[in-house]
Amino acid sequence: MKLRINVKGGIRRLKFYLDPVITIQILIPISIFLLFFIIPLGVVVFSPILYAEAGAYSPIDVFKDPKFISFKPVGSPIIIRDLHIDNRTITRITVLGASYGIILNSLINASIVTVGATFLGVIVAFILARYNFPGRTILRILATVPLLITPFINAYVVRKIFSYNGLISWFISDILDLPYQIHIDKLAGVAIAQIMTFYPIVYLNVFASICNIDPSLEEQAENLGAKGFRLFRTVTLPLSLPGLAAGAAIVFIFSLEDLGAPIAFRERRLMSMYIFEGIRAAYAGEILPGTATLALILLMIALAVFIGIKKYVSLKQYAMLSRGGRWRPRLRRPGIKGLMVIYLVIFPLVAFTALPQIGVFVFTFSEKWAGPLPEGFTLKYITEIVANPDVSRAVVNSLTYSFIALLLIVLTGVSASYVVSRARIFGVELLDVLITSPIAIPGLAIAAGYFMFFTKFFKYTSLDPFTTGPAILLILAYSIRRLPFTARAVFAGLQQVHVALEEASLNLGAGRFKTLRSIVLPLIGLNVLSGALVSFVYCMSETSVSVTLGGIEPSQAPITYMMYEYMWGGKVWGPHLVAALGVLLITIQLIVIIIVNLVLKQRYAYIGV
Amino acid sequence: MVNVKLVNITKRFGEVIAAYKINLDITKGKLFTLLGPSGCGKTTTLRIIAGFELPDEGKVYFDGEDVTFKKPYERGTAMVFQNYALWPHMTVFDNVAYGLKIKKLPKHEIEKRVKDVLKLVGLEGLENRYPLQLSGGQQQRVALARALVVEPKVLLLDEPLSNLDAKLRLRMREEIKRIQRTLKITTIYVTHDQEEAMSLSDNIAVMNQGRILQVGTPREIYNNPKNLFVATFIGRSSLLTGIVKDVRGDYAVLNIDGTFEIEGRIADGFKLNKGDRAVAIMRPEDFMVEPPAIRHNVIEGIIELTMFLGPFMQVRLKISRQNLMVYIDPDLDVKTGSKLRVYIAPSDVYLFPFKGWEEIEFEALA
Repeated sequence: MKLRINVKGGIRRLKFYLDPVITIQILIPISIFLLFFIIPLGVVVFSPILYAEAGAYSPIDVFKDPKFISFKPVGSPIIIRDLHIDNRTITRITVLGASYGIILNSLINASIVTVGATFLGVIVAFILARYNFPGRTILRILATVPLLITPFINAYVVRKIFSYNGLISWFISDILDLPYQIHIDKLAGVAIAQIMTFYPIVYLNVFASICNIDPSLEEQAENLGAKGFRLFRTVTLPLSLPGLAAGAAIVFIFSLEDLGAPIAFRERRLMSMYIFEGIRAAYAGEILPGTATLALILLMIALAVFIGIKKYVSLKQYAMLSRGGRWRPRLRRPGIKGLMVIYLVIFPLVAFTALPQIGVFVFTFSEKWAGPLPEGFTLKYITEIVANPDVSRAVVNSLTYSFIALLLIVLTGVSASYVVSRARIFGVELLDVLITSPIAIPGLAIAAGYFMFFTKFFKYTSLDPFTTGPAILLILAYSIRRLPFTARAVFAGLQQVHVALEEASLNLGAGRFKTLRSIVLPLIGLNVLSGALVSFVYCMSETSVSVTLGGIEPSQAPITYMMYEYMWGGKVWGPHLVAALGVLLITIQLIVIIIVNLVLKQRYAYIGV
Repeated sequence: MVNVKLVNITKRFGEVIAAYKINLDITKGKLFTLLGPSGCGKTTTLRIIAGFELPDEGKVYFDGEDVTFKKPYERGTAMVFQNYALWPHMTVFDNVAYGLKIKKLPKHEIEKRVKDVLKLVGLEGLENRYPLQLSGGQQQRVALARALVVEPKVLLLDEPLSNLDAKLRLRMREEIKRIQRTLKITTIYVTHDQEEAMSLSDNIAVMNQGRILQVGTPREIYNNPKNLFVATFIGRSSLLTGIVKDVRGDYAVLNIDGTFEIEGRIADGFKLNKGDRAVAIMRPEDFMVEPPAIRHNVIEGIIELTMFLGPFMQVRLKISRQNLMVYIDPDLDVKTGSKLRVYIAPSDVYLFPFKGWEEIEFEALA
């Protein structure tokens, strides 16, 4: 009897908190994520067990196969050879990296990249957050240049720079007239290209963390006699650890799942490449043994890192604990030694990391770039974007997909963020974790999940890419993968809107929908817009899913798939065309950055946990 | 206008009990105040009446109708929020007209009613300003106008004056009283300021730790506090602790530290026996310096501290092991360290059992 009353009361209670609008707002993100995220990823988890590929190849075999894991390295990491060129004896140092099998290679590479990117990122963040010197703004801008996404081509520029006849070897042997050449390629090249691309993620996260440290905390330490490196080591660094950990974790995952650098360096001995080629082989009905298992491993590592870092960061959010008193950035002028380090080491290093993006422009506007330096000026690669029907169709495709994805993103992002920040229902925190998780879930795992799920269970429907082409799946993948940018911007906006503003409206007789429309949305409009713009940019440059599924129907291929084709195709003019498309992407990104920062006066959402 | 009734309302937030078995009957057309220190549950109670919170137990009735599970927008209350909650993207006119537009009133009537209510609160001519272009007092009036214009069944005011400076607060207090008396609207007012509560209310409920301690008119609560918390929370109070020496009907004599005796009235509903420890509560303004004609308690102490407060002088007296605060004529020439003798009528001294005092004292310090 008592139980019945409680159940009845419970339902009335739930009905009180769950008005129809909130219910729909919960159902939208949950149903979209269930169907297009959780279930496909679930298929990735279970497929290696459920469908043992080609009979004999069980997941355990993957760990026994030296192709995947081998503790005896193949190839020597460094080769030094003397060559006789033009009556000179030149010592060529070739660094290729040793291979320990596909799985270990990926883990080793991601670890090296994470350490390198963290080291560089922390130094740059600390210098920019604490020192004032002429050229500081330039350094700031240079350090964010690598974040401009130019799939494949930036890594290709790095490969060219480190080639035996590239810029560096040319500088050493021809300008300095030293008898040496340096050639970095393959695994080693991938690591360097990824460090150069990803370190700004660490830099921005750490920078934000340092800026959130109450200055009085450092002043107190100084007051007690700590200074210089000791101050940094004992106070600043520990307090910025949440940002550092978040940035490093993202870099680790991004490095694992990156396809850009491996494709540019033609490095097949990495998990991301193997999964990619495995799915591509499956188009043709071939089976690359172990693909599903590798996708599962990739997903599990990413999930573990994401959950671990989420826990760690929420435990350690103490940097802005105390407030009050004056709060202005602690910028000071470095001494002579400091200035020398900044100008002679940091500046050249950071400028060097911006070279790939500069190189993209050089590639675009030069006739030919075979030797160390580019030759001839031309506009033909830029005009090709419009003139070549394949390319222009890809551009239109990408724009279309991104816009449609954006509608879904805004609907889902606003709904989910509103529920997370306002609804008082048990378990909304889980929704928050769910909608921010795509930032850490490898696109390749999503691509693998979509491929297995929709070709198997939705055969001959409009969701089957072999029936109607990949367009719908690409739109869905873009929506899911780029949702966190909008969701986070909206969430930040909602935190600025006092709940009483909504309560005042409800109190005066307006329903939830009317309140949302006339009070909430006008107040968070700018946040929605800036979040959506950032999502749009990342939709346009989405690579993993685009190159994996985009080729199923060439007429529906997006821009990044085209870039992959021209990059991998081996044509001499290929990289130039890819670069021209890279310039197009850079332009879109710069326009969005300017709109978000200068017109909307919002903070450009960066990648973090 | 309705009669509001709360029956056994209980609300917990995790471990914290925000409201415990609250029973209130708020008469139609009156101004009723929930008074208590911050965190006592008064705002939660108000939000339960508005429908922003669901009570864990108990019912809310408007004119006998159970509205406990009704959504805020179905209740017909109008609330003035502590931070005003004016929509920054709307003009004063749009803010005030919002509730009328929801009711789908004809345009000319909306305009007329907005105009009238802005006149009532003294904001004519500011229709096209945005909230951020207004002063704190003006924003307060807009919030009030926005609530009044819909002619709510109940007007709810959540510490509406706490964000204003002292002078403006006094003026707005009078305004609110005038408007409430003019419109005769059932009003529930939440405040921690006992002077505000006294001056505005028809009835006051004093709350602490989620419980209602006493309900009554301001005069009843001031003159006849039902327990120690109310006695010390309302008005300023001086107090002495001692041992009951003698009980004579409603009155008892306390022995203070074995040095002198003080006679007072035993608070309603309590019993004191010879030998009990007890607390004597006195208002600092009830002390006299000149010996009165009829018999009074006489207290003598050494002046420890004097503070000039304008209309009177606050003096801290050291009496054996205890301190006593009294207000005296500011023109009197008193010196720190000298002796002062004060008189207080036994009817102005309230005696409470000592039990429970330590808890309140601790709270007052925290």
